[in-house]
Amino acid sequence: MTLRARLFALVGLVVAVSVTLVTITISAAARRSFEALDRQRTGALIAQFRREFSLEGDDVARRIDRLAASDAAQRTAIDLARHGDPAPFAGDAVSMAAAQGLDFVDLVAADGTIISSAEWPARFGYRHGWATPPHAGSAAFLQPIELPHETALALVAVRRVPTGAASLYIGGGQRLDREFLRALRLPDGMRAFLYRNVEPEVSRQQLVDASGNAPPSAQLEPLIARVRQTGQETSDTVESPDGSELVSAIPLTGARGQVLGVLLLASSGRELGALLSRIRWSGIGFGVAGLIVGAALSYAAATQVTRPVEEVAVAADRIASGDWDTRVGEVNAAPEIDALARAFDTMAAHLVDQRDRLVQVERVAAWRELARRLAHELKNPLFPLRITLDNLRRARTLPPHEFEEVLDESLATLDTGFRNLNLVVGRFGDFARMPAPVFEDVSPNAIAEQIVTLLRPQIEAADRPSIRITLDLDPACGIVRADDEQLGRVMQNLVLNAVDAMPNGGELTIRTLPVAAGVRIDVGDTGEGLTEEERDRLFTPYYTTKRHGTGLGLAIVQSVVADHSGRVWVDSAPGRGSTFHIELPRTPRDRAAGAPA
Amino acid sequence: MKPFRSSCLALASVLAAAGALGAARPQYGGTLRADVEAVVSSLDPASTPADLKQSAARARIAPLVFESLTAIEPDGLRAELASSWQSDARGTHWQFRMRSGVVLHDRTTLEPWQAAAAIRQREPAWKVNPDGDSLTIDTSEPTPDLPWLLADGRHAIVVRAAGGRLIGSGPFRIDHVEPSSFLLKAHEPYWRARPFVDAVEIEMGRNLDTQVTDLEGGRADVITVRATDVRRLTRRSLRVEASRPLELVALIFEQQRAADSAIAWRRTLAATINRDAICAVVLQSEAAPARTILPDWVSAYARVVASADGPALPASAIAALPIDQRTILLRVDPADVVTQAIAERLAVDAREAGFVVKVQAPAGLAPRADARLVRVTVPATTADRAFAEAAGRLSVRGWPAVNLPSGPALDATYRAEQSLLDRFIVVPVVHVAELYGVSERVGTSLHPVARAIGGWDLADLWLQGGQP
Repeated sequence: MTLRARLFALVGLVVAVSVTLVTITISAAARRSFEALDRQRTGALIAQFRREFSLEGDDVARRIDRLAASDAAQRTAIDLARHGDPAPFAGDAVSMAAAQGLDFVDLVAADGTIISSAEWPARFGYRHGWATPPHAGSAAFLQPIELPHETALALVAVRRVPTGAASLYIGGGQRLDREFLRALRLPDGMRAFLYRNVEPEVSRQQLVDASGNAPPSAQLEPLIARVRQTGQETSDTVESPDGSELVSAIPLTGARGQVLGVLLLASSGRELGALLSRIRWSGIGFGVAGLIVGAALSYAAATQVTRPVEEVAVAADRIASGDWDTRVGEVNAAPEIDALARAFDTMAAHLVDQRDRLVQVERVAAWRELARRLAHELKNPLFPLRITLDNLRRARTLPPHEFEEVLDESLATLDTGFRNLNLVVGRFGDFARMPAPVFEDVSPNAIAEQIVTLLRPQIEAADRPSIRITLDLDPACGIVRADDEQLGRVMQNLVLNAVDAMPNGGELTIRTLPVAAGVRIDVGDTGEGLTEEERDRLFTPYYTTKRHGTGLGLAIVQSVVADHSGRVWVDSAPGRGSTFHIELPRTPRDRAAGAPA
Repeated sequence: MKPFRSSCLALASVLAAAGALGAARPQYGGTLRADVEAVVSSLDPASTPADLKQSAARARIAPLVFESLTAIEPDGLRAELASSWQSDARGTHWQFRMRSGVVLHDRTTLEPWQAAAAIRQREPAWKVNPDGDSLTIDTSEPTPDLPWLLADGRHAIVVRAAGGRLIGSGPFRIDHVEPSSFLLKAHEPYWRARPFVDAVEIEMGRNLDTQVTDLEGGRADVITVRATDVRRLTRRSLRVEASRPLELVALIFEQQRAADSAIAWRRTLAATINRDAICAVVLQSEAAPARTILPDWVSAYARVVASADGPALPASAIAALPIDQRTILLRVDPADVVTQAIAERLAVDAREAGFVVKVQAPAGLAPRADARLVRVTVPATTADRAFAEAAGRLSVRGWPAVNLPSGPALDATYRAEQSLLDRFIVVPVVHVAELYGVSERVGTSLHPVARAIGGWDLADLWLQGGQP
């Protein structure tokens, strides 16, 4: 990872962590505030409901009081006492309920039978459930009211009509339903539900919503069931399509303490959710903005720091690739980076000086080696020539026929000596005149077989030590782009070197095999092997370990292999023989286009 | 001051006594205002009323204008335009002696041939001929109850004058006809006596609630009242008069609930009905518990009709029934408040026994009901005719199938009715009377406004403020 990337990642991480921490902190604080506010609102609503409940109860009790004191009720009671027949009064409750604006009014005889019922006129004559003497005069209470097709929940009161003779009770009240809930002033985000606990099991039909919308019955059922079971106030969070809501459930009890209803106040988490969402999105926004700013800052900082370093690195790469004149120059960066750039340039200058000196030294050494080799090579053919010339000089004194004989011999010797000189000169000339390779499709295996076929008679001659030839050619090597003649010459040199390395016989192994880079050719011997020094100088021109070698064979090998974009190396150790490895690409890099040169 | 106060009190007492005396004495004059629910387009007995309401309205108005040879009273037949009648032993030849001196509304005297023509038009199969001061009727089949048949309004004596004008002999003549009202004027030479009131103004198309309001507001003197409104009127000191029970309210199980195997179930449900409470409270004692189709005053055998024996199901058996089997969808006429009130009480009674009765008063399409509560008129005629007509009204579209009496004999009617009741497919609930509200303007007399067999008797009532 580059310094620039690291700087960017570091700045981004710092910004992200900071924004996340701030967002979480603000969200938690907002949540706590909302929960506290929600508790306050719920508490206020519960208090308001209890107040409304109490006021409604007082109102119901007042209306029943008025009814009991009304002329109509008095007259009914008196007539009832006088005639005893309740039938004529069966319809009285309806008009009484209408007069007082009550949902329910029942006239009940002292024995508990219904004389008239406003809510269920047909039920006259049956026993009344709650308008009984024990309840007469008490405050309003919650009571389930049986109706023809349902059971309603009502806030009712019971009064005795104050006449001396007969006892007539009037019970009545107001239905506790959606209209009652509407009296509650609900703040935004709050909903109120009323569950009328008038059935044996939890029934969705008994759940009403103050707003008239369909209440989330399925979500509220467990809460209602809990209140029904325990009779205690409880709360829970329920999930609805509009989001989560904190619902407080308050039991509403009847005269005997039984749970007859459940008031459910739901506080929507929508506002909190919206606020948290805003905080979250603000955090994301600030985070993104921070990342952009951080990126810009880190880019600027990285530019100040890494650009000069990168320039130094680029300059180093160029020098490594041979462009010794490359310099970093002025980088306009921090003093440390400036010092680094100057030091790099100084180092590069020193390297160039040392390289030049080394080249000079090597050139001198090479010329010395060449001169030494030339001297050595020329010295050997010249020595017999001088001896021959000395012999001729001494033979002038011999009789003519003897001189003739010496002359002939000397001429032959001179001829041989000059030929040797020509041979030496030709070899050096050949190395100097190495031609450019002509690439074509060739088979390394075929070349190896040709070379072995050509040299086998020489290698396996009777006067030669016994050398066993092993050919291990992998057909998968296939075809490579190469100069057939030069590659053959390389393999010939290596085979002859291997043969020379085994004066006492041994095994010559020629192996080809496909490798990732192309094709590898191995030529191994079981000779004495090479020392480390010999291995280091093996490919130096004119270096040889043989008595009559020119030191150009392996140099030529290296030159050819290099022209084929390949490489050559040797594995060897004293006493364990040597193996030369040549690795050739299937297509030389400079010939990638494929056109034969 | 004391002598003066005493004198004033004495004078006031005298005036009050005089006023009371005047109010108690019949007076001539005044226009009586009556309301009917339906709009009657024609009083012609030859025309067929469009519906039951129109038929009921015409049954009230037409007898004021047109009379028959005979008339039905609770205790039997009464001679009207015929002063007497006799027949042969087989009942195929009848002779009716016409009342003399009956003056028609056109001031001519009613002749036997005119009566014969009127009857002949209604019954072309009969041979009706004037015979001196009588007319004879010959029927192809024995018709022992022919006088009862002739008492029906369809056989009223209507003289058709030129231009299609209908002339009757009743206590009132048609003076003016409007689309929604009739103005009848007193027929001065009426053969009994001139009516006390000068005219009767009949407003038509007044629904029952409006009629009550009209009566309470002094805009009507005679109206039709539902039993459920009786208490309302009596509290205002308005008089309510009733006929004999003329309507049957009955529970009829539909075919899917009428299997013989479910008779115990039906019997149990029928046993829950508290008829006394319905009569006393819902119908304000203006009805009678009914255990037969025909009221006792029509059949005279109602008291001996026995409910079919058989045990009722215990409450535990009812509770063990699947909910759909103990739930009864009871259909009632949405326009009939009285029937609805009765049905609600039936539901309450059945509920106590473990049944679930849902009252359905559909204005349009509705789920198939299990039973219906119907109100049918029982005509005041012979028992067999009354049973046949009532059975015809009960049996809508052929259900339930009713075996009619095999003959005019009373025991045949009894057996037919007993057979019907034994199956508990038709369960009589109450017999309801026709009720009429009468304004304070209408003076009390020996003859009530409501005739015992239904309809008005307006000829004998008088209005306070008229001429003594």
